[in-house]
Amino acid sequence: MKVRMLAAGTLAVLALAGTASCGGGPAGEPGAVTLRLGFYAGAGDPADTLMRELVKEFTAANPSIKVQLEVAPYVKFFERLRTQIAGGQAPQVWLSDGVLVQEFAARGALADLTDRVRTVDAAAYSGLELNRDGKGRVHGFPQGAQTPVLFYNKKLFAEAGVAEPTADWTYDDLAAAARKLTKDTNGDGRPDTYGFRAYSPGFTESWWPIVKAFGGDVVTDGNRKVAIDTPESRAALDWMLAAMGKDGFAPDYVTTESFGKGAVHTLFATGRVAMSYGIYARTLPAMSAKVDFGVAPLPKGPGGRGNVAIVNSWVVSKAATPEQADAAWKWITYFSGEKPQSRWAELGEAIPINKKAAATALPADRGPVFLEALDASDTLGTNAVWSEYTEALAKRVNEALSGATPVAEALATGQKEAQQVIDRFYAGQTQ
Amino acid sequence: MTVLTRKARPVAAGPPATARTRRARERAWALAFASPYLLHLVALTAWPVLASLFFSMTDYDLMSPPTFVGFGNFSRLLGDEVFWRTLGNTAYFAVLFVPTQTALALLLAMALNQRLRGMALFRAAYFVPVVSSWVVVAYVADSVFNPQTGIANQVLALVGLPAENWLQDPALVIPTLAAVAVWKGVGYMMVLFLAGLQAIPEERYEAAKIDGASAWNRFRYITLPGISGTTFLVLVLTSIETLQSFEQVYVMTDGGPHGASELTVLYLYRQGFQFFQMGYASAVAWVLFVLVLVLTLVQFRLQRRWVHYA
Repeated sequence: MKVRMLAAGTLAVLALAGTASCGGGPAGEPGAVTLRLGFYAGAGDPADTLMRELVKEFTAANPSIKVQLEVAPYVKFFERLRTQIAGGQAPQVWLSDGVLVQEFAARGALADLTDRVRTVDAAAYSGLELNRDGKGRVHGFPQGAQTPVLFYNKKLFAEAGVAEPTADWTYDDLAAAARKLTKDTNGDGRPDTYGFRAYSPGFTESWWPIVKAFGGDVVTDGNRKVAIDTPESRAALDWMLAAMGKDGFAPDYVTTESFGKGAVHTLFATGRVAMSYGIYARTLPAMSAKVDFGVAPLPKGPGGRGNVAIVNSWVVSKAATPEQADAAWKWITYFSGEKPQSRWAELGEAIPINKKAAATALPADRGPVFLEALDASDTLGTNAVWSEYTEALAKRVNEALSGATPVAEALATGQKEAQQVIDRFYAGQTQ
Repeated sequence: MTVLTRKARPVAAGPPATARTRRARERAWALAFASPYLLHLVALTAWPVLASLFFSMTDYDLMSPPTFVGFGNFSRLLGDEVFWRTLGNTAYFAVLFVPTQTALALLLAMALNQRLRGMALFRAAYFVPVVSSWVVVAYVADSVFNPQTGIANQVLALVGLPAENWLQDPALVIPTLAAVAVWKGVGYMMVLFLAGLQAIPEERYEAAKIDGASAWNRFRYITLPGISGTTFLVLVLTSIETLQSFEQVYVMTDGGPHGASELTVLYLYRQGFQFFQMGYASAVAWVLFVLVLVLTLVQFRLQRRWVHYA
């Protein structure tokens, strides 16, 4: 008797668990859908709070869709997501770092959104083209964009009597201004304020756009061929090394690293550097620190400005049911609307991808600079093994920037190692 | 004289039915009591271990079904320069960490094995880093080894030596990490040694003193053999801990600069959870497991020569 009761109890628990694990299915009422929505944010962050508010408004307007949020800080979110996908338990829609969209798509985890994207007015949104893969397919719909521009501290420029940057600036102009802005006020032989921040562990705001501006490239041929080992790239890294070395207007590798993880992004906000390349999200710490700052286009080099962008995007799980995929698309189109995008823009966290929202919600002095940079941007070399090949490459480039390895040797080795990573994945695939 | 006789029992009959029932019931109870542990063992240890052995022979990106590649991942490991470099980094870290921590823990244990007032406070003080998280320890370490503001460079400046880039210099990063790891872990090993020291009978020292043995000879011939079992335990635990070291480098250096502090488990983690190569990561895990096993077996074999269980 007891055994039977135990068995019955166990079955009941298993049945309940089974039902719970089917949370992505219909939510009970006819036509109702439960949608698990994942995004990355720190608990209690303004982005977290606003996202919850927007979800609430969305479900109020769409009562047949019940949304279950899955939120975690960036690293934890993607770590968990990969195991969720492996276990068939991924959210049906999630916010992906733009550089990871192709990694998920190439492994069959994402629904192809190409047909759905055709139904929207593409001219109304930024970043759509940056999300296309080699075959023209789209697996992510833009949520917000990031592209580096030149941040400059107006007060430090005025104190040094240096004219503020213009759209005509070249790398020589940048270097000349940075030299004048570098100050050693306490006489300890080390500058207290540097003119420019050249090195950063995050290459989007450092060597990648500089290499491109100097006429070099990082990857070509549909982002499958590493092409950084060129005289142009060497010239770019030499310029950076001179900035951190003999010219001394930028903190060197060790000094920058010693500020600690993430602190490199606060160098501008804390007044340690007068100029820095920064994505839109860097406006937040600068404003919080009440820095009187402006932004200007990246300086021109022999190869142009080297604009690059990351378009963080909503993606839909391939495992979603048709009803869930429809509900996910409804969420995406809602979030991309002018009103939610304008509210998101108020966070100062990303450039809105809705062009109407971008035109009205961004600050009048800074907005156009970011939008022009975004329009001119290329992708950040995204492909199916972006994380791995860029790490292999960045390791060698940083060796060169730290002075540990000659530039030519580092670029040759980095190119070889990064190419091996790409070839290993794409072996036998034509596109 | 009493003669004890035993009634002959039918050979084929076995124990009486009541005894059999009792034993069966006891076995069932034993199993019931052990079942939480057995379930845990099967579900969270045995099954993942077997699964990882299977994955090590597959190409598995977590998102599509694994495809069998035989020993392909292991042969790739042989030619993977980064893997060998991480293994070299791990070995270097172990060579610095294991003897230093063991010797220091013993020294501290001997110093704190005194009947003096306030000794418990000192013991607790040395134990505090053991229970601190690596995130906290990383902050403390930064205040010591930061090239701009750290105490270490201020001390060097006081004695007229040039400043060092402790965690940014490829040549210094592993010794610095080893020093921090010793600081964090020495308290635990010290407690083990304290227990070992306190188990040595006091009479042995008294007898040796009466015989005129010097302090060194008492240490050499009484203390060291007396704690050889503890020393062996400390060496085995520390060696395994070192080869599995992950959290410290993940938090403090993320393997930098330029991979100079990338240890094998961090490499494994990246391959599996960042680069979608769970099959390859499983192969790395199995190679590491075999290395730990071989090292431990060697330690067990060698212990016969120097460990005394009195």
